Amino acid sequence: MSRLLIVLACLAAFVAAPALAQSTPTPGGTAIVVLGSDPEHLNAGISTGYPIGAVGASLYSALVYQDADGVVHGELAEGWTVSDDNLVYTFTLRDATFHDGAPVTAADVVYTMESILGPNHGRFQRAFNEMASLEAPDARTVVITLNRPYAPLLGLLTVFDAPILPKHLYEGSDPLANPVNDAPVGSGPFRFVEWVRGERVVLERFAGYFLEPALLDRLIYRVVPQDVARSTAIEVGEADLVWGFYMPTSDLPRLEANPDVAVWKGLTIPSLYFMFVNNDHPQLGDARVRQAIMHAIDREQIVEQAQGGLGEVAGGPFGAGFRYAYSEATDYRTLYPHDPERARELLAEAGVADLTLRFVYDSARGAFAAAAEIMRDNLRQVGITLDVQPVERSVMVERVYGRDYDLTLQSFTSSGDPAIGYHRIYLTAAPGSNFVNATGYANTEVDRLLTEAAGLADQDARAALYAEAMAILAADLPTLPIFDELSTQASTANLNGLLQRLDQRDGLEFAWFGN
Amino acid sequence: MSGARGSKALGAYALERLLNAVPLVLGVIVVNFLLVSLAPGDPVTALIGEYPAPPDYVERVRAQYGLDAALPERLLRYLGSVVRGDLGFSFANRQPVATLVIERLGRTLLLMLTTVVFATAVGIVLGVWAARRPHSAVDRGATGFALAGYSIPEFWLGQILILVFAVGLGWLPAGGFRSIRADYAGWAAVVDQVRHMVLPMLALSFRYMAITTRLTRASLLEVMNADYILASRARGLSERRVLWEHGLRAAALPIITVIGYNFGFIVAGSALVETVFGWPGVGRLMYDSIFTRDYPVLLGILLLVSVSVILVNLLTDVAYALFDPRVRY
Repeated sequence: MSRLLIVLACLAAFVAAPALAQSTPTPGGTAIVVLGSDPEHLNAGISTGYPIGAVGASLYSALVYQDADGVVHGELAEGWTVSDDNLVYTFTLRDATFHDGAPVTAADVVYTMESILGPNHGRFQRAFNEMASLEAPDARTVVITLNRPYAPLLGLLTVFDAPILPKHLYEGSDPLANPVNDAPVGSGPFRFVEWVRGERVVLERFAGYFLEPALLDRLIYRVVPQDVARSTAIEVGEADLVWGFYMPTSDLPRLEANPDVAVWKGLTIPSLYFMFVNNDHPQLGDARVRQAIMHAIDREQIVEQAQGGLGEVAGGPFGAGFRYAYSEATDYRTLYPHDPERARELLAEAGVADLTLRFVYDSARGAFAAAAEIMRDNLRQVGITLDVQPVERSVMVERVYGRDYDLTLQSFTSSGDPAIGYHRIYLTAAPGSNFVNATGYANTEVDRLLTEAAGLADQDARAALYAEAMAILAADLPTLPIFDELSTQASTANLNGLLQRLDQRDGLEFAWFGN
Repeated sequence: MSGARGSKALGAYALERLLNAVPLVLGVIVVNFLLVSLAPGDPVTALIGEYPAPPDYVERVRAQYGLDAALPERLLRYLGSVVRGDLGFSFANRQPVATLVIERLGRTLLLMLTTVVFATAVGIVLGVWAARRPHSAVDRGATGFALAGYSIPEFWLGQILILVFAVGLGWLPAGGFRSIRADYAGWAAVVDQVRHMVLPMLALSFRYMAITTRLTRASLLEVMNADYILASRARGLSERRVLWEHGLRAAALPIITVIGYNFGFIVAGSALVETVFGWPGVGRLMYDSIFTRDYPVLLGILLLVSVSVILVNLLTDVAYALFDPRVRY
């Protein structure tokens, strides 16, 4: 769909103004993309790591992809049908080949999902656990049968969660130790050339790609470990593209002022920043105290000052990324405006005075440090002392998920469906499991509503369930959503054709250099 | 210099020191292992990524890397494999530690050795220069430079050098080991490599240069008041020969000591400088392995550093004897 639009746009430009002819995509050139750290290996099927996923997006293909609006389209799959009971998905494959010339068949898909992704890929396991069976009745057909309806399934079959690997190179080996992991073979638009650990991964256009071949001759992922050095690399022309994830927001104004650099800001994959509140804490267990904190925190100020304006104050428990998971009736901004007076009243009602809270966060996150300072100031005004404790990431994970904290700032993303990343924030969870609900909040009604919503494909039906869940969460406020993050990226001004897919890291086969 | 007897004694001394180093290295391994294991943070979390993983999967990964065993058992197992010459297997990189380290060692040595040579040379020249005319403007300048150089942290200096020479003036590349866009060959590749090396080398050298300058100056000032210097002058030797041949040679011991002493600090500094400049060396591998709690890699690098420091100290002692005929073992 989006590809068609580009073609149309180019045609229109060509016909309308010959002077603009240079905006026709032209093949050739080498683009250098910045990675913040060295990938540990290049098998995107056994890791959810960000750099591996980034390289993997160009190297591998998956059954489906999500366009810039999040709509799912077929990639290796020419199309698919869903049974009436929403339990059986039947995919028909296109003619595609791996980089070593072998055809991509249904057996590769089934093998990858069963033997590589299922046991080893953290996010794909979500979908895998819902699958009753995986079959390849013939070379072109893949049938996935579910235990129960599971709406996020398609969103978990993209290249980031389900890259398809060649069965003939992995079968009979330990996928974690297979040497192919360091010289990967996929069926994506670019194929592997060279990897110098700690320095670069070099890919080149794969002429035999089953969709339109990539425009760039070569794609080089370059490792730049320090965040300031990444924006510098773009500024001095030593790199062509760096994703906002890897850049300090304070560098954006400088990059925006540079005519050789194009800066983009927008909402792609929803990413929500929120404050976990330890509900097991004697005072924080009282919903009025949590509401008071929400009233006390100036979220606007945090977005403006800590986030450099790159965000929107969160309106609900699932942010703004999914319209059907938001209900205006219980918008958090209306219910909990910044109001220190109201906060003091609520604290007085709850009989809380002289409260000191430990605020734990990952010290590597610069925006968190700035937000912590603002919150400390906000909360001091209502009589709460914040004991700010920046700790190293792995220590933060241990403390937060071991519930040895009072308040903490976290950011979660949810790919193409709130059920993938956001439900876990509210579903009842045992202490000690990482990256789930660490607040201790347990509400069987919320559990029921969210589990049911995850099983429905119909968005209107889901919206009703989410509205109900949101009303409960708005009153209980187990966690405090702060803001939805806006994504950014900086690129060389003449690098065109970026941002064709939901995930910024995907779709680099459409990138090309203009004049 | 000394005859055959002297060098034999030196050889025996070196051998004895080398044997003494064995229990020291073992002790270092044990201490490193305990320090690293007792630090908070779980390598399995870093391995699995940012996602809730089923507990049985977490346990499987833990068992796969032998992290489920008790600490003493893991320590014994590690010691056993190190004695057999096996540094272990990296959790995160899924590669043998030795392979990972050796791949990057050359790049770090390149940076470190250039730093040592450059910083020592410039430091000595500045020190001698300052000592020749104590309390002159030159001396004050050199002393001031030494004070500043000693106080400036390497990573900060690195960023300033990048801002000035790469972003501002555009003379040198901002980072990396070589140009990535162009594939140079032959001389062009060497020039490209040198251009990439200048800034990290300068950032790493500063502190070291400062120490050498101060030490050379102090040591030389002391020596130049000695009677044999007066004697040399009385014999009518030129001031240059007095200074460089008699003065500096006698003043060399502290300078040699500081080369050995600083070796460990240069390794530590290279972890920061390599990170600032994106130099793919051992220092950065160490930095990354701390964040991913990749214990085998971290321990392997710490072991390498410990052994190098011990070796360099030994070489320093041997160098004493070679430089200064007064030293005997």
